[in-house]
Amino acid sequence: MSEKLTSKQLSRKITDEYMEDAFHAHDNGKLVGYTTAISPVEIFVAHDIVPIYPENHAVANLTAKKGVELCSAVESMGYTSHLCAYARSDLGYRKTGVTVTKGIPDPDLFLACNAQCFTLTKWFQVLARKGDLPVFVFDTPEHILNKDARKEIVKYCVLQLKELIGFLEVQTKRKFDYDRLKEVMKYSAASSILYKKFLDMAQYKPSPISIFDALIGMAIAVYRRGTQECVDYYQTLCDEIQAKVDQGIGVLPKEQEKYRLYWENLPVWFKFSDHAKLLGSYGGVILTSLYVHAWSFDFDLNKDPLETLAENYVNRFSNSTIEDRADMAMELFKKYSMNAMIMFMNRSCKAVSFAVPTLKDILTKRTGIPALVFESDMGDQRFYAESQVRTRIEAYFETLDRLGLAQKTAAA
Amino acid sequence: MWESLNLKDVVALARDPYPSIRQWARDTGKKVVGSTIADVPQEVIHAYDLLPVTLLGTHKPLKKAASHLPDNACSLARSNLELALSYEGDLFSGFVLPQVCDTTQHLSDIWRISFPEKYVESYLAPRQADRPSAHYWVKEEIERLIASLGKWTGKTLSNDALSASIAIYNENRKILGELYEIKRNNPGTISNLQFFAMMKLSMQVDKAEFNKSLKAIKDGLKLKKSKGLTDIVLVGITCDPPEVFDIFDELKLNIVGDTLVDGTRYLRGAVSLNGNLIEAMADRHFNLGFYSPIHDNVYKNFEEVKKLYYDMKAKAIIYVHIEFCESQEYDLPDLKNMIKKEGIPMHVLDTEYQTVSLSHILTRAQAFFESLKGGVL
Repeated sequence: MSEKLTSKQLSRKITDEYMEDAFHAHDNGKLVGYTTAISPVEIFVAHDIVPIYPENHAVANLTAKKGVELCSAVESMGYTSHLCAYARSDLGYRKTGVTVTKGIPDPDLFLACNAQCFTLTKWFQVLARKGDLPVFVFDTPEHILNKDARKEIVKYCVLQLKELIGFLEVQTKRKFDYDRLKEVMKYSAASSILYKKFLDMAQYKPSPISIFDALIGMAIAVYRRGTQECVDYYQTLCDEIQAKVDQGIGVLPKEQEKYRLYWENLPVWFKFSDHAKLLGSYGGVILTSLYVHAWSFDFDLNKDPLETLAENYVNRFSNSTIEDRADMAMELFKKYSMNAMIMFMNRSCKAVSFAVPTLKDILTKRTGIPALVFESDMGDQRFYAESQVRTRIEAYFETLDRLGLAQKTAAA
Repeated sequence: MWESLNLKDVVALARDPYPSIRQWARDTGKKVVGSTIADVPQEVIHAYDLLPVTLLGTHKPLKKAASHLPDNACSLARSNLELALSYEGDLFSGFVLPQVCDTTQHLSDIWRISFPEKYVESYLAPRQADRPSAHYWVKEEIERLIASLGKWTGKTLSNDALSASIAIYNENRKILGELYEIKRNNPGTISNLQFFAMMKLSMQVDKAEFNKSLKAIKDGLKLKKSKGLTDIVLVGITCDPPEVFDIFDELKLNIVGDTLVDGTRYLRGAVSLNGNLIEAMADRHFNLGFYSPIHDNVYKNFEEVKKLYYDMKAKAIIYVHIEFCESQEYDLPDLKNMIKKEGIPMHVLDTEYQTVSLSHILTRAQAFFESLKGGVL
């Protein structure tokens, strides 16, 4: 009997097989569909279309500090430096071929879901024009506060999912299999529960995971949801983290864990490990963000699959009102007993960042905790001022110490 | 208030219409409802006996908006927010804010949170326009807006009231269309500044009154056929500040066609008064031209611009880029290449609301048109 793989080994295996499948999609009679990380990819999986996420590829390159090289290349094509760093680095990759991975296969079609952002739609349109390829825009109006309007929004989204299925049937010349979709939904629902369980393990003191573990751990949820292997991966991951909890192993030892932080926004990918080390030296661990929770879906398998898909994809944090985002963050503050927060103004992710100043005002008022706000870019190092960020982090922890917040948890 | 204005009055009022709107609201006792661009079916607001006013930014300094929206946000969004937060907020009883992109989506939330005591409704425009579901959604949103305004005002909207408002809007578009035709065919009769001031003011004041002024202006025009003007097509979303039109006039350019939201996109398509009015308003939405945030095909934009250029026998295209408008910025490089490949001269004009210095715009435009006359591009 073979030895059980660790979550890390399993992740590698799943990723390798997935990319192998993607690169040989045409050999196997499949199409490659580019899609947004938040999109009803279950429809793709059920219809045997290989989903590819240019964002993931961009993250790999930006984390490896390729941002400046790739973004500069695309700026010389007339694109401005304040567009999304994912988009710029991807368009730069198309121009230069520079990548730290094996690259990604070319697309046959696109699915852009604007619950994540409008930028991706525009970015995909640029890519589609290069090959005159079809783009399907899954338009998700903001999940506004009016409950009656929400029902109408879901109806509109269900109509569009039906249109999406029709679009895919035309593109593939194959009939869509609704029974297969139900099966895919079961996997998605199961892996979502496990993924959320994994994220929620940050509740323990000391926390066995930081947001950096969550950011690594979320990858499979992003690109392999709707599959049995995705379920297996999160079961393995949960088992491993539970073992740490049972042994009292934290990111920091219990006596050193002074500050349990909330992070608003996507990470600064190229400073990923530096930030973890720096914060750790002050007794700080970033536990979570709304961003990593974007893939904890709550699918209702008793409903029509298209309805539960529509409901789940329109209510993501990135498509919610600022009031709802604040409520979602407050839930996390309470659940994870957080006592500090970093609000990152990510200049190239306008979709998330334009809410941050208002969100900061609401959260600091409701928690009574001061916030560290800093502006930079998730992938373009030219907009990261090392000494300034470091100084602000130092000053922030000094403030927290002075206020005696290390012992407090977030207020209701 | 606005029924017997001459062109000079119109230009002056278009620069700052708010004192007159205040006076009008006081005199009539009617409430004022603001909307940012684009595509809010303002006929519905008008039919509730409210004054719909399209917000097109302020030229006064930014004081508060910067703490809500960072400096890399669309300058029109920041300028509109500033207008409401610092200068004219008290004039408005409510706002209907369309969502067409990430910035406008956040702007709606920030606005609602900033004005908790006022009526603030979002109008969720579809961000796809080529499928049946988009048509369904526009109808749903118009109906939701009608219900929402009804709840706020405590009134029920009658078909007659909506029909009357649509007729006023149709008339406004018709007269402006006729004035545009005169401007095209009789260069020098109406300046660029004057024409776009009429357009702007039409979107901001009571149309029933202003239509009378427009008719009188039209009837009183002394037609000219000035020589030496260069016909151009203006492409973009909006064009601000108004001094840019002064520059066009100074350079002897005659705008003969445009794709602006506060230009031809506003003028296009009368709403049919026969049959279901909501259906007819939805139909109109899909008969409007290309609009970058909701259309997914820049080829369509190119084809439209190209057709406009050839149909109008224009000599060049001026593309107005609003600083930090993502939607335009993703489209522009390819659009530029397509237009260049077609051999059409094109000049990109970078604008920013709150722009103080216009000398660089003048210098660049001058250089472009000098090279155009010299036949070198």
